[in-house]
Amino acid sequence: MTAKTQAAIPGQENKIRMENLTLLKALWPFIRPCIWMLVFTTLLVFVVTFFELLIPILTQKAIDGFILPVDPGAGINLAGIKITSFTQFGLVFAGIIITAFTIDFGQSISMEYTGQKIILALRCTLFSHMTGLPISYYDKNSSGRLVSRVAGDIENMNEMFTSVLVFIFKDLVLMLGILVVMFFLNAKMAATLSIIVPVVIIGVMVFAKILRKAFRIIRHQIAEINHSFSEGITGVKIIQTTSSKRRFMERFEKLNHEHFTAAMFQIKIFALFMPFIGFLGVISVGAILWTGSIAVINHTLTLGELVAFLSYMKLFFRPLRDLSEKFNLLQNALASAERIVLVLQQQKAPKRTTKSRNLLKNINNIKFENINFSYTPEKPVLKGINFSLKKGKSIGIVGQTGSGKSSIINLLTGFYRPDSGQILVNNIPHNSINIKDIRSQTALVMQDPILFAGTIRENITPKKDLKGDIFLKTALKKANCAFLFEKFSGLDTQIREGGHPLSSGEKQLVCIARAFAFNTDLIIFDEATSYMDSQSEQRVHDAMKKLMEGRLSIIIAHRLSTIRECDKILLLREGRIMEQGSHRQLVSLKGEFHHLLKKEKI
Amino acid sequence: MKLILPYLKKNWLKILTGILCIIIVDGAQLIIPQIIKTAVNTLTTNQIDRYVLAQQCLLIAGLGVAMTILRYQWRILLMGSARDMEKGIRDDLFRQVLELDMSYFDQMRTGDIMTHATSDITHVRMAVGFGLIVLMDVILLGGATLGIMIWTNPKLTALAMIPMPFLILSTKHLGKKMHSLHGTAQESFSQLTEQIRESFFGIRVIKVFNFEKTIEQKVNQESTDYYKKNLKRAIISALLRPMLGFFFNFSSLIIVFYGGFLVMEQRLTPGELVAFLQYMGILAWPIIAIGWMTNLFQRGTASLKRINILLDARPSVQPPQSPIRPSCLEGRIRFNQAGFSYNRQQTVLSNITMDIKPGTRVGITGPPGSGKTSLVQLIPRLYNLNAGNLFIDDHEISTMDPDQVRDHIALMPQEPFLFSGTLEENILLGRKIEKERLKQIIQVCDLTSTIEAMADGLKTLVGERGVTLSGGQKQRVAMARTLIVDKQIIILDDPISQLDTHTAQTVISRLNQMNPGATMIIISHRLSALAACDQIYVMDKGIIADQGRHDQLINSNQFYKDSFRVQQFEEAHDS
Repeated sequence: MTAKTQAAIPGQENKIRMENLTLLKALWPFIRPCIWMLVFTTLLVFVVTFFELLIPILTQKAIDGFILPVDPGAGINLAGIKITSFTQFGLVFAGIIITAFTIDFGQSISMEYTGQKIILALRCTLFSHMTGLPISYYDKNSSGRLVSRVAGDIENMNEMFTSVLVFIFKDLVLMLGILVVMFFLNAKMAATLSIIVPVVIIGVMVFAKILRKAFRIIRHQIAEINHSFSEGITGVKIIQTTSSKRRFMERFEKLNHEHFTAAMFQIKIFALFMPFIGFLGVISVGAILWTGSIAVINHTLTLGELVAFLSYMKLFFRPLRDLSEKFNLLQNALASAERIVLVLQQQKAPKRTTKSRNLLKNINNIKFENINFSYTPEKPVLKGINFSLKKGKSIGIVGQTGSGKSSIINLLTGFYRPDSGQILVNNIPHNSINIKDIRSQTALVMQDPILFAGTIRENITPKKDLKGDIFLKTALKKANCAFLFEKFSGLDTQIREGGHPLSSGEKQLVCIARAFAFNTDLIIFDEATSYMDSQSEQRVHDAMKKLMEGRLSIIIAHRLSTIRECDKILLLREGRIMEQGSHRQLVSLKGEFHHLLKKEKI
Repeated sequence: MKLILPYLKKNWLKILTGILCIIIVDGAQLIIPQIIKTAVNTLTTNQIDRYVLAQQCLLIAGLGVAMTILRYQWRILLMGSARDMEKGIRDDLFRQVLELDMSYFDQMRTGDIMTHATSDITHVRMAVGFGLIVLMDVILLGGATLGIMIWTNPKLTALAMIPMPFLILSTKHLGKKMHSLHGTAQESFSQLTEQIRESFFGIRVIKVFNFEKTIEQKVNQESTDYYKKNLKRAIISALLRPMLGFFFNFSSLIIVFYGGFLVMEQRLTPGELVAFLQYMGILAWPIIAIGWMTNLFQRGTASLKRINILLDARPSVQPPQSPIRPSCLEGRIRFNQAGFSYNRQQTVLSNITMDIKPGTRVGITGPPGSGKTSLVQLIPRLYNLNAGNLFIDDHEISTMDPDQVRDHIALMPQEPFLFSGTLEENILLGRKIEKERLKQIIQVCDLTSTIEAMADGLKTLVGERGVTLSGGQKQRVAMARTLIVDKQIIILDDPISQLDTHTAQTVISRLNQMNPGATMIIISHRLSALAACDQIYVMDKGIIADQGRHDQLINSNQFYKDSFRVQQFEEAHDS
């Protein structure tokens, strides 16, 4: 699980490019429950846009109908309703403003709500899917990268649902609506103005593309800067004692300067883009004024209509500035969606590989028959492994780092499946038993003591009410965890991130207590006492001996003393069992084990 | 303020030019509605002159060009200056991080310092960059627009402004509220992230003990909590935008309605009415900006204060006024009744007296928490002593420059830490080393075959973004990093705890053959690693409980005797 996975690491980050349709199909199950909310919200977008477009028209009607009446006393006609008094008109105007506000607010809320709900479902499903993925997936991908799937990438998608989609949709609808209204007001003038539309579109697209690149570089560099800080802090002891302050500072300055250059580039792009949009706006005002004035003189346009044109032009340019940024966010969200879908498409680890299920209540014996195994096809890790273990007996496994000790455990616990050969549990093929059945009779204590943030109680049995406090206390005492009650607050001791405030050795003791509490048939200790001083280790071993009575146990150790009393010892080298037998047998064999023993004595 | 001032001074010309550009642009922006006004007024009087009209339109276009150029200028000048400041402050912060001593980091959380380096600096930059621009806009654009409006028709202006105080107050209030809600949501999010990180990190434990359902429930709970808090924030932000529109439409309504009356009564020209509507549009930005700006400034000053606190922190390990600078050290280390504690309440070391002669090998052992690591960290002065003295050669440690002392000491910390980079970079840390030496040290640390097995050899990427090495591999890389430069004093804190017995013995025996002239201190639980030492100290509860050679301690010291007996149990049994 460590160096063995090297080859597989370089990520899947870049090589994926998914069709948007595929994405939609994969995300559809999450969207479907909220589809009516989505449709409703989208419809509201049209209503909101309609109201937004209404306001300049109202101003125009006010000017042409009352203030400078084209046909005095006629009043105006609003959607068939005749309004003759200016006061009446004012009230209608006010009513429309209030309605517009209410609907706009309602639309925003309902969009937020829908988006957040979809995201919540997606996040929970993604996480539970990921816990079901095979261990090999975790070995190939660093946990940091996996976390960013469930945290960062989902957050990006949230952005897409809640703001980007609506904004882009709304802005596009609004701009389209403005064009349509302008054509209705005065087709000729609108046609003249629409010359700028392609200029705007091309401009936005070009800038969006450059901006996306600039943003990506800046984001990358900010991540690097953060990383430098975190390394500088965590590694401060090394930096200060190796006199490498200056070199680290130089490296950081270079990085910081690169970030500055990239930021300046982005500023330049914006400094071109924003005024460019502003320029188009001013030019079109000039154009409207010119063509509009001539039209007014020729009586093909009213003054109110000219004012409306000016207002619409303003509305038209307003969303453009945001649009490019929103477009960028959308791209970002789509990239995240791709990564999420890719994870969701990963096959979960199968419970078993055969169709029929063999039930398993207890483990009575285990047998490895001619097992071959490799993590990557070229490099076999286990070759022709044969051994068996009965209830009440114990096996010790020794061998150098990389000799395949932990791989045997990985196969037995179903983290990986063998390439060939057979594992039998109670003489039933391993792959026809639900892996959960095997695991529920297995307790594994690993070299790295892993404790989760929370109380000791939660760490030993996270399932509530499963076991009484007295039972847990006994398990802790048996595993030599008396210090918890002396130095800390016993079962209620709060463990923080990374196992603080316990020392490494203490953490290992708690992990052993966890194994004691589960009362399983099979117990596996994978170098479980490496952080302890010899005396603590000895005490733990005495406790382990008691625990092992009447069970099957497997002990991996790099100190030979640890496995001295096992019923059988396997000596591994380069994936093969070199010697096998009891301690006494192996010593009298005068082979490799004997050699190792002698070495350890020096 | 003293943090920003140097940067303002440095870029004063740029900033001034930038502000000048804004003034001109704002002025030009105000002229355009005036031109429209005259045009509309001539239109209503039906006295049209195409030549004049063309002139007006060209003027607008000309203004447009000028505005574009100037806007480009001020963006680059002002925002560039803000970025320059950001860069400078960030450099200062990183330098400070490298200067600060261990006791500071023991109190501070890494996350807090990270926040200073990222979001706090961004807040300051925004306050300076955008803040400046917005301030100019509010004063110039807002003031001038309002002035023109009042000059045109004071009563209409006053009426049109009725909704504005509400708008400013509500943006300010909602902005603040949103900020704090955003904070709570963010906190909930980082909790969720930590929960997920932890789950993936411990996935083997989760799977083997069938904890999946429980952990899923926990994550669901955290997600729902985040969802709820996020929704609260969302409601505020959903309210903010439509509200802005509402207040402005309301102002427009007042202008159209009351202004319309005025036009009908001929107390206002139609052109003025149109110009009024245009000015209202211009005024939108400065008014929204007032609320926005105050929040920006508030956040910026708060961030600045936090950055200042960090930059003002002085490491407690300081070089003296005129440090002694010995060019080379013999390597003698002498503790004289030394005492130490991390927080002044709990004594970690007391009454430590030891004399380590140059070129000797010293072992330290003892139960966990007995003060072994604390003791050796005093030698390169990662911490200051609380009592007694420490002499390197014959110099009291506080009379020397700590950087100078460290130049002669190699320390391998207990937890192996890898920087992200290649294996080679991790061993060299930028130091210039001959190829032969590197090869030799790699061999001493028994890394030769490990590195050969990697596809990229020494160029293999490790650390957070590279290959994950096993504990034993990390430990050996850290050891190579420590040994690569020949130092007079070598301190190895628990160097073989994660190595298998065989590798450990290889490494220790090769180590013993290396630089025989150097003083070497090794902390270890494994007594076989200490057997060859000239002197072994047994520590217990912060004091030196016993000392002697291996064969002496086996008989005289209970802890040593017991530990040895356990470790050698089988040896006795077999023979």
